Amino acid sequence: MGPLGALLCLLLGLAAGGGPPRGAGTWALLEDASLALLGAALPGDLEPECQELLAGFATSCAALSGCLVRSARPVRLCQSCYGLFRAVTEQLDNITRAVGNSSKSYNCAKSLLMSDRLQIVVVLSEFFNKTWEEANCANCLKNSSEGLSNATIEFLDLFNKTLMCFEHNLQGQAISLVASNYTEVCRNCNVTYKKLNTLYTEMQRESEHGESEHSKHLCIDVEDAMNITRRLWSRTFNCSVPCSDTVPVIAVSSFILFLPVVFYLSSFLHSKQKKRILFLPKRFQSNASLVNIQEKYS
Amino acid sequence: MTPMRAADTELRSARPRMANVAKKVSWSGRARDEPETEPEPEPGEATPLLNGAGPGRRSRQFTHSSFLRIGQLSNVDLDDDAHELETEVPHQFPNEIPHNEKLLSLKYESLDYDNSENQLFLEEERRINHAAFQTVEIKRWVICGMIGILTGLVACFIDIVVEKLAGLKYKVVKDNIDKFTEKGGLSFSLLLWATLNSSVVMVGSIIVAFIEPVAAGSGIPQIKCYLNGVKIPHVVRLKTLMVKVCGVILSVVGGLAVGKEGPMIHSGAVIAAGISQGRSTSLKRDFKIFEYFRRDTEKRDFVSAGAAAGVSAAFGAPVGGVLFSLEEGASFWNQFLTWRIFFASMISTFTLNSVLSVYHGNAWDLSNPGLINFGRFDNEKMEYTIQEIPIFIVMGVVGGILGAMFNALNYWLTMFRIRYIHRPCLQVVEAMLVAAVTAAVGFVMIYCSRDCQPLQGNAVAYPLQLFCADGEYNSMATAFFNTPEKSVVSLFHDPPGTYNPMTLGMFTLMYFFLACWTYGLTVSAGVFIPSLLIGAAWGRLFGISLSYLTGSIWADPGKYALMGAAAQLGGIVRMTLSLTVIMMEATSNVTYGFPIMLVLMTAKIVGDFFVEGLYDMHIQLQSVPFLHWEAPVTSHSLTAREVMSTPVTCLRRKEKVGTIVDILSDASSNHNGFPVVENETDTMQVAGLRGLILRSQLIVLLKHKVFVERANLSLVQRRLKLKDFRDAYPRFPPIQSIHVSQDERECMMDLTEFMNPSPYTVPQEASLPRVFKLFRALGLRHLVVVDNRNEVVGMVTRKDLARYRLGKEGLEELSLAQT
Repeated sequence: MGPLGALLCLLLGLAAGGGPPRGAGTWALLEDASLALLGAALPGDLEPECQELLAGFATSCAALSGCLVRSARPVRLCQSCYGLFRAVTEQLDNITRAVGNSSKSYNCAKSLLMSDRLQIVVVLSEFFNKTWEEANCANCLKNSSEGLSNATIEFLDLFNKTLMCFEHNLQGQAISLVASNYTEVCRNCNVTYKKLNTLYTEMQRESEHGESEHSKHLCIDVEDAMNITRRLWSRTFNCSVPCSDTVPVIAVSSFILFLPVVFYLSSFLHSKQKKRILFLPKRFQSNASLVNIQEKYS
Repeated sequence: MTPMRAADTELRSARPRMANVAKKVSWSGRARDEPETEPEPEPGEATPLLNGAGPGRRSRQFTHSSFLRIGQLSNVDLDDDAHELETEVPHQFPNEIPHNEKLLSLKYESLDYDNSENQLFLEEERRINHAAFQTVEIKRWVICGMIGILTGLVACFIDIVVEKLAGLKYKVVKDNIDKFTEKGGLSFSLLLWATLNSSVVMVGSIIVAFIEPVAAGSGIPQIKCYLNGVKIPHVVRLKTLMVKVCGVILSVVGGLAVGKEGPMIHSGAVIAAGISQGRSTSLKRDFKIFEYFRRDTEKRDFVSAGAAAGVSAAFGAPVGGVLFSLEEGASFWNQFLTWRIFFASMISTFTLNSVLSVYHGNAWDLSNPGLINFGRFDNEKMEYTIQEIPIFIVMGVVGGILGAMFNALNYWLTMFRIRYIHRPCLQVVEAMLVAAVTAAVGFVMIYCSRDCQPLQGNAVAYPLQLFCADGEYNSMATAFFNTPEKSVVSLFHDPPGTYNPMTLGMFTLMYFFLACWTYGLTVSAGVFIPSLLIGAAWGRLFGISLSYLTGSIWADPGKYALMGAAAQLGGIVRMTLSLTVIMMEATSNVTYGFPIMLVLMTAKIVGDFFVEGLYDMHIQLQSVPFLHWEAPVTSHSLTAREVMSTPVTCLRRKEKVGTIVDILSDASSNHNGFPVVENETDTMQVAGLRGLILRSQLIVLLKHKVFVERANLSLVQRRLKLKDFRDAYPRFPPIQSIHVSQDERECMMDLTEFMNPSPYTVPQEASLPRVFKLFRALGLRHLVVVDNRNEVVGMVTRKDLARYRLGKEGLEELSLAQT
């Protein structure tokens, strides 16, 4: 083990407790460290409790990442993983917070969370937190995040109903590559779709009154569900064909555009042009000055 | 009828005045259509130089042995003039011409920046001790602080009200459009939008056209003139401020292609002028404070502070504000003033910032330094590299050309407006039509656009779906269906790919014409934001096409949008130093200083090659006698003798009241300053110049009846103080309101005490540039021309100097006209 490793061990030793007094030169420190290495029980080793905590965190992390990835498409992050996310948060809390023997657990937190450059535990937990925040899952969970909020449940119900309706009406004419006629779907599912749409807009409006920037979005599950439905509805089924009344629009706008022409023409023809009355200044004019000006002019 | 009135009418009948004559002739000569095709002047004088103005004037030869005219002699002189006029005007002189840019209006007078150092003033100065001067200095600082606070508050008010009202309007229209998209009948939405717009604009235009026409436009030309020393009537009144603020709110809410930033400068200036005087004549309230500052010199300093505070509140650019004032009013400047103005600017932006932060609910955030906030430009993608600088310069060239086009079009339009659309009703109708057309154009553009973008949360304020799929919005609508400020910011900051090039191109084209059409309407509104918006749109387009051409995405379109905005604005208004700093501060990124400077410089050079800046153009079209920094080059051979007006109406040191009243009420010569000469015993003797007295002073004297006889009669009469003059400032009563009885007409007035005993004079041989320099640097109003015996020969005033201008073909002379 090179001097670097020794230094590392020394640092671990320092973390374990006490350590040699400061103020000695680097070399002296290194000597101390090599002396410590000679001892039987390595003070740098993790205590069993800590190891347990770490293992627990690892398991829940693995579970959460699995869940996140599995429910990536269509997005079901919040609905399926909120329990696992809570577990990870709890594990992390256990590591950070003092449990049982306070001094030991404190050491545990220190060695797990801040004793190296990488700090993998922190990185992972930050990643999960960030993902959770960006997905805005808090928005569709209850306040204590022990379950989905009522609005979300209602929305998802309605969403499922809508999808069922789509499926039901599509039976027989299976979504094929041929751009077939979906009028039946449009007619039959209109009510459900509209309901879903209004519910979504309402939820959006409610969340607008939220405090922070993030809560302006709805949670990703709801947004994605709505996106899927809308895309199906207006792109695939082509249901929302707005009445395009081009003729009246063109008529009205050309009428409006025509008005200024009339206005300017009439004011040009009928309005009396404003004339300026010249005023004669009192000046002394000699021929010399005229010559001057003319010279300059030419 | 008082005897004075009788005398006055007698006077009128006895002496036909020039104006009358001119009018009479004008009516008879109305059949002529083309004044330009008037009889040619005599061959020897065939100079197109004095275009359309000259021959009659030049053929008049004054044959008086002395140009000095004492009041009593004026009878003879005037008769002479009138006689001459009557004989030659009808067949030689085109005295009624259509408005053009080569005129100087008689409406505008100078401000009295030069302090009248008469005996009263000296006495007062003597009475004030050192401590009192320090109080005055402290008062100056207090006033500057108050200017800053009030300007900031006015800006907040405008911002909040505009946001609320515009929000309401867009919500109503959006709901309507959403409703009709499903059922059909979108033409009703269009009508609703157009009607809403034009009715709001109608109110805004009515208050401007009928209550205070000077509140029209951005107000920057007017303030520029004021700082230059031109008294624009009503420009710094409280009423103007009210109309301006309401007008701006209404025109922005009315959806015109305008911004609320320019008018802030005018508002700041009015606030400054109002506070520094400690009273309001509109409200008829006098708070009896700050009386020391009741004169033009002091007021001008505060007005420049107010203008700076306005810029600072508008753009969150305190330094830019100071530099703006410096750029516009720099001939009267000192360091202390700069520091005070900077103080006012800082206070202004801070007030706006803190009030708006509280309003938006994050009180300690301080993230709203200005009315327009360009947002932050400090992420990595926004950084520029050296290689991009030539590209920016190219953008500057484009901006200069587009700006020149804008100005040329607007020039043409403004000329038409001045000539044909001068009745207030017509102006209101025009504004309404523009508002309706703006709505219609916006609607049609949105209707025709097929550029749909997916909705992302609430990033878009009023997402219009229209024909887009559910969950998407119309991208054209973010540009048109929004207040211009918001559109600018979204053009700067929306991620690449938000706008499709076609949308941007159409938008630029349409908005260019709309903005050009809108500027000069009788609504109060600025041109800053529309210019920025046009520039941002084509700049973004430029950036997008660059990425297409090079096939990479190194060119973040937001950066190019910013440079385009700077180029376009620079090409239109041609401001240099202050605009660079304003843009730099608004983006809060100092490293952008260099490219912005280059862009503005290029835009100015290219633009100046074609036409001048928008503000200068409007000043010229308003026939304002504006003095530029320097006399026109090649004017050295002109001397004071040719420039001055002569003969001069002089007063004697002890003058008869009747004479003074007659001179003052003579409408043909609305003179403002009268040289005071020695009492001569007989006319042959030298009557040297002794001083200069102003019309306003004479009127105050007449009002208080300061006659020698009354003093001799030892009537109990208080001695006149400087305060009496200040109380009358700035609106001195007209001479008609002062009644002088027949007996009093025979009294004498001693002017010695009140005249300025040391007026500036120049000899007849002084060259025009020399006279100009003196006049401009000291902010003079009257400059007396004397001969070597100290006799008054002539008088140089602002209009005498401003009429020489360097045109395309050389030195031009503008003619005076009544407007």
